Amino acid sequence: MSRIIKTFAAALAVLVLGTGLVAAEARLDPMSALAGRPAGSHPLDPMTALRARADAGEARAGNEEFGGLPDGAGAEETYYQCVACHSTEIIKQQRVTDHRWDELWRWMVEAQGMAEPDEETKALILAYLKTNFSSER
Amino acid sequence: MPEQSGNTEAVRDADAIDGARRGFLKTTGLSTLGAMLGMAVPFGRNLPAGFVPAALAQDTGLDLMAGKQGLVVLGDRPLNAETPAHLLDDDVTPYERLFIRMNGLVPQTALDQDAEGWVLTVDGEVETPLELTIDDLKSRFETVTRRLVIECGGNGRAFFQPGTSGNQWTTGAVGCPEWTGVRLAEVLKAAGVKESAVYTGHYGNDVHLSGDEEKEVISRGVPIEKALEEDAIIAWAMNGAPLPALHGFPLRLIVPGYPASASQKYLNRIRIRDREHDGAKMTGDSYRIPAYPVAPGTEVPEEDMVVLTEMPVKSIVTFPETGTEVKAGEAVEVRGHAWCGKGDVASVQYSLDFGQTWQEAALEPAPNRFAWQRWRARVTLPQHGYYEVWARAVDQDGIGQPPLSPVWNPRGYANNIQHRIALVAVG
Repeated sequence: MSRIIKTFAAALAVLVLGTGLVAAEARLDPMSALAGRPAGSHPLDPMTALRARADAGEARAGNEEFGGLPDGAGAEETYYQCVACHSTEIIKQQRVTDHRWDELWRWMVEAQGMAEPDEETKALILAYLKTNFSSER
Repeated sequence: MPEQSGNTEAVRDADAIDGARRGFLKTTGLSTLGAMLGMAVPFGRNLPAGFVPAALAQDTGLDLMAGKQGLVVLGDRPLNAETPAHLLDDDVTPYERLFIRMNGLVPQTALDQDAEGWVLTVDGEVETPLELTIDDLKSRFETVTRRLVIECGGNGRAFFQPGTSGNQWTTGAVGCPEWTGVRLAEVLKAAGVKESAVYTGHYGNDVHLSGDEEKEVISRGVPIEKALEEDAIIAWAMNGAPLPALHGFPLRLIVPGYPASASQKYLNRIRIRDREHDGAKMTGDSYRIPAYPVAPGTEVPEEDMVVLTEMPVKSIVTFPETGTEVKAGEAVEVRGHAWCGKGDVASVQYSLDFGQTWQEAALEPAPNRFAWQRWRARVTLPQHGYYEVWARAVDQDGIGQPPLSPVWNPRGYANNIQHRIALVAVG
């Protein structure tokens, strides 16, 4: 429930700030409210998908040493594993399901030739990705 | 907000990325280096300071961002950047404002603008395999110049709920430059397409992100029927100049109407297949959509995914810029472009009241098939306050753009949600 209220508050903040009637500098773009990745939207209630994204205004700065990935268990391992091929920018854009993260891992290993780390590191990295770049939480 | 950016922000983004890269090189340890190369680094401690593996030295093309104006960088390795809608107002998209979609790294030949000895091979299910130099193409076939829309299959991905993996393009992974080249169909006919031909397979010389030179970056294709239509071209020039490094120098395909990934950059081979092509990013979930509509968030079995072909009808509002102040009671022009994977768009409508009522916009004919079409309307906002302009294009079959994202798909392709901008009317 607290998440819903938080989400609503964030959406309200976006609406208030977003009109630009008070703040001339705020860029208005109704598309941005739709470009959301709301946590916990329900597929069988399409209206829930209209909510502004849950992470609006909550963007964490991230750790510069790790390409701006947010701190947390697995941040360092994730950084070093991933930047072998691509920068962290593509990671930070993602809000996907746990299943999709598993699929992406498999695809990177099988199709893209990613060197797979030991099981423990793999579990740590996947848990980090699922925690920080999720559409489920 | 990262989605929006003017020039200054784009420059700042580029600075931030440079900074990130420096930080990265500074903090990179040898174990990382080993992970990057997929092996242990023997005698690592003897490596000179500042050693950068060849895989990392290959150019992402980021330095070329200096020649782009106002694009929003989504990623620096691989380099991907999109164009804010108000910067897509030109009828012919200039280089500075054309989006960038790299799957790998920019090949050295493109960076050097060196086409010496470049050969296009046409082989597979053909009577006479061909090896064509660029001069051969120019002398043996009719040169054509056309305005053709090129749009990333994932344009609009950011609007899918729940999120789908990949670059979170909003509305700016599209453009309509003027391309010069020869018709793909004529070249294929010269090679003599066999009865057994089913699909094309396209190859280029771009470099895999891992630096592995054996690895295909992307190799997609189209059904042979599409390739034999007169629209697709093998291009060597964009807007009257040789293809830029970021856009496929020295040769590329433009297969209009299909996701831009079918328009292979750095083109050096077209192989005619006797089955659906199975090159890199043809299989799995890449550029594929479910064969049937699925609920948002559904994981779809691989065998139920089919290749994305025609892109849906779409339009954007390119003027004014969203958030612009206008005078209440005075007419202002609102305009944009409309295009469709099937060819010409039939009509464009706009709404000033959140989709409650719709008015017809003036729609200009396309200068050639698969060019985007200009639409315009003069609107008068009745009193001061907040308004949105919504635009929707309708194709020749009466199919129009949805007010919200169309059916969800796991990789977020073909989102033709209506574009809306805000206008503030002042008294």
